[in-house]
Amino acid sequence: MSTTAEPVLVTVTQIVATELATTADAIDPDLDLRTVAGADSVKVLRMIARIERAYDIELDDEDVFTVTTVREVTDVVERALAEGAAA
Amino acid sequence: MTVTATTPAGPARTGTAAAGVADTNQHYDLDPEIFGLFLDPRRKYSSGLYRSEGLTLEDAQLAKLRFVADRLGLRGGERTLDVGCGWGSVVLYLAGELGCRAVGISPAGRQHAYIAARAAELGVAELVETRQGHFETLDVEPASFDAVSLLGSIVHMPDLDLVFRRARAALRRNGRLYVSESCFRNAAAHTEFDRRGGTEFVRDSIFGWGDMRPLSELVRAAEDAGFSIISVDDLTEDYRRTIEDWLVNVADRADRLDAITPGLAATLTRYLQVANAGWGFTTKHYALVCQKSR
Repeated sequence: MSTTAEPVLVTVTQIVATELATTADAIDPDLDLRTVAGADSVKVLRMIARIERAYDIELDDEDVFTVTTVREVTDVVERALAEGAAA
Repeated sequence: MTVTATTPAGPARTGTAAAGVADTNQHYDLDPEIFGLFLDPRRKYSSGLYRSEGLTLEDAQLAKLRFVADRLGLRGGERTLDVGCGWGSVVLYLAGELGCRAVGISPAGRQHAYIAARAAELGVAELVETRQGHFETLDVEPASFDAVSLLGSIVHMPDLDLVFRRARAALRRNGRLYVSESCFRNAAAHTEFDRRGGTEFVRDSIFGWGDMRPLSELVRAAEDAGFSIISVDDLTEDYRRTIEDWLVNVADRADRLDAITPGLAATLTRYLQVANAGWGFTTKHYALVCQKSR
């Protein structure tokens, strides 16, 4: 589980910001990450990997390759956490 | 006789998708006593494992059950699902030896009462559950099993991709899938021999439907479902030895088999001989292990 009690959106935003070498307040949750200067598919995968490690989850491939915004990433993380709790 | 082969634990429907699929292979719904006469005491109707000298059929089937548990990474107490559970050898072993909460699925009606009775005799009734139906359509709790196994049953399932997807959905993260199956040794053999006499004999007289896809097709379906491939073992020679031992039992108990169904011993002998003729030439028997992980 995440070592923080922060909302998922906050943690995901921080991970994305770190990967993009910027600050959390510079990240708009609804911004298409593919349009961000310096963001590429490798960085997105690294973000996903860090998020999976942070929460000890594994996202479905269809989610990994379709999410485009921080908010969408947050949604699939929250869904995975809910499924994990139910299993 | 055409040198071709199919496998006892899994042959028979021609490749037209699910149209006209019998609800269950009638073969498996025969009098349980028949299987008791030529299988090992656990009635395990799939390959044994002959990796030591001087093993009996019973020894080899126990060795195989240990092998399956090892490949699945089971240590004890896990929740497991055996698809095509037959006479319950896998669920009863996992419950009895490892304390697993073992669920079995089979479309064949007569097997369930038999498994329940054996579970009670072995004192594991509370750990063993069987469900009658088809894995492709039964509701299975998502992400709730540590291991899923299919020993010689995927051959009866027309939609390979659906089976692997459903198996993965049933597994928790890092859970494993064990699939052992008889396979044509390549695509050319699949195409050429699938319509030959020996296979037809088995298809038309014993089973309802089966498709011995090459290993490459199983691997493709596993990958497409999102699995990581952990291991592949070649069990071809082990299955040949298993069937030799079954043939000895059929010969020894021919009178008792024929008393149940006239001519049964000859039919079984022909079937098992056809199955054994093709190993290595047209057919292989592989164990594929996959994991739900990155």
